[in-house]
Amino acid sequence: MLRPAVLRRLSPRLGGFAVPAGCGSRREVASGVPPTGGTSPRALNIFDRELKRKQKNWAARQPEPMKFDYLKEEVGSQIADRVYDITRDFPLALDVGCGRGYIAQHLNKETVGKIFQTDIAEHALKNSLETDIPTVNVLADEEFLPFQENTFDLVVSNLSLHWVNDLPRALEQIHYVLKPDGVFVGAMFGGDTLYELRCSLQLAETEREGGFSPHISPFTAVNDLGHLLGRAGFNTLTVDTDEIQVNYPGMFELMEDLKGMGESNCSWNRKPLLHRDTMLAAAAVYREMYRNEDGSVPATYQIYHMIGWKYHDSQARPAERGSATVSFGDLAKLSDVMPEGKKQ
Amino acid sequence: MSTNGAVWGRVRSRLRAFPDHLAACGAEASAYGKCVQASTAPGGRLSKDLCVREFEALRSCFAAAAKKALMGST
Repeated sequence: MLRPAVLRRLSPRLGGFAVPAGCGSRREVASGVPPTGGTSPRALNIFDRELKRKQKNWAARQPEPMKFDYLKEEVGSQIADRVYDITRDFPLALDVGCGRGYIAQHLNKETVGKIFQTDIAEHALKNSLETDIPTVNVLADEEFLPFQENTFDLVVSNLSLHWVNDLPRALEQIHYVLKPDGVFVGAMFGGDTLYELRCSLQLAETEREGGFSPHISPFTAVNDLGHLLGRAGFNTLTVDTDEIQVNYPGMFELMEDLKGMGESNCSWNRKPLLHRDTMLAAAAVYREMYRNEDGSVPATYQIYHMIGWKYHDSQARPAERGSATVSFGDLAKLSDVMPEGKKQ
Repeated sequence: MSTNGAVWGRVRSRLRAFPDHLAACGAEASAYGKCVQASTAPGGRLSKDLCVREFEALRSCFAAAAKKALMGST
């Protein structure tokens, strides 16, 4: 039976963990330690996680949360497609940073036996979408997963790792909770996401105020992603990119939708104030530089899909050096060898 | 902290009307956008208030549209 274990760095103020009782039960387990200074020498503190939690809670409590869910729904269904492509079934799965649980609704009980959904925002978990797979909702931070080693057959992540402060550590945690021969299927935003908005704001702020500050959070580059996954211990990596372009009436509607998705900026170095003049200027620049023929403006979301496996003896390995039995120089003689086999 | 969010609600409702006022000033917005875009061409250099004339035209049009909406609603 699954027993979530206490991580090394858990603070003593947390109470005990609840054992999941059975199918369809919902137990809220206290999350791990919030990142304090000096937990690890390479710890970065770019994002205010407490504020991100408030933003996601606010977004989940909106009167019509499904109005802003289109992007996560689309990517969630793509992740589910990739899970179906793997010819295996997964008795126990984990959804990291699930939001309202966009992946589980596309999966069926044969492929995934039971799924644990974790997020930092309790209201998102409370309003999670319907699915016929038994779920357990756990309140946990992506960097402090409260699970034992070698627990899950499948870990999925839908567009939430771009708000994680220490991404190498989060990927290592995911690798830790996976069973050998387990797989991680994730999607996160890439470097070109919202480049139109970023450029418009930069140009407008430079022209209006003489300088600019970052309003779009930094994203991981695709090369770095491969290195990070390798460093976390994953095997047989696959990273591919996808671009989704969504058309909006204007820049203000785009910003409102981003807020409704819970994707507002929460980096510590954000400028809290955006002048109305600058907003007006940026909207004008956006429209002029990027608009489509029908007057709408596009916003690009670049998604990186990644698949990584945890090592297991049964997985194919590259052959040892010097174990070749045939040389490349024999390629010319291949045509002599082949016709024997083809006469069938 | 705020008691009933009246001020916040008022500010936000003004902000929500921005797209409509901007739509009424398409020509000025386009002129301003072209000016800024021209500075991004090779050899151009974007500095503060490079397009201040176009922006002032845009702002006065925008303010007029906002005032008209305000007058029209009262």
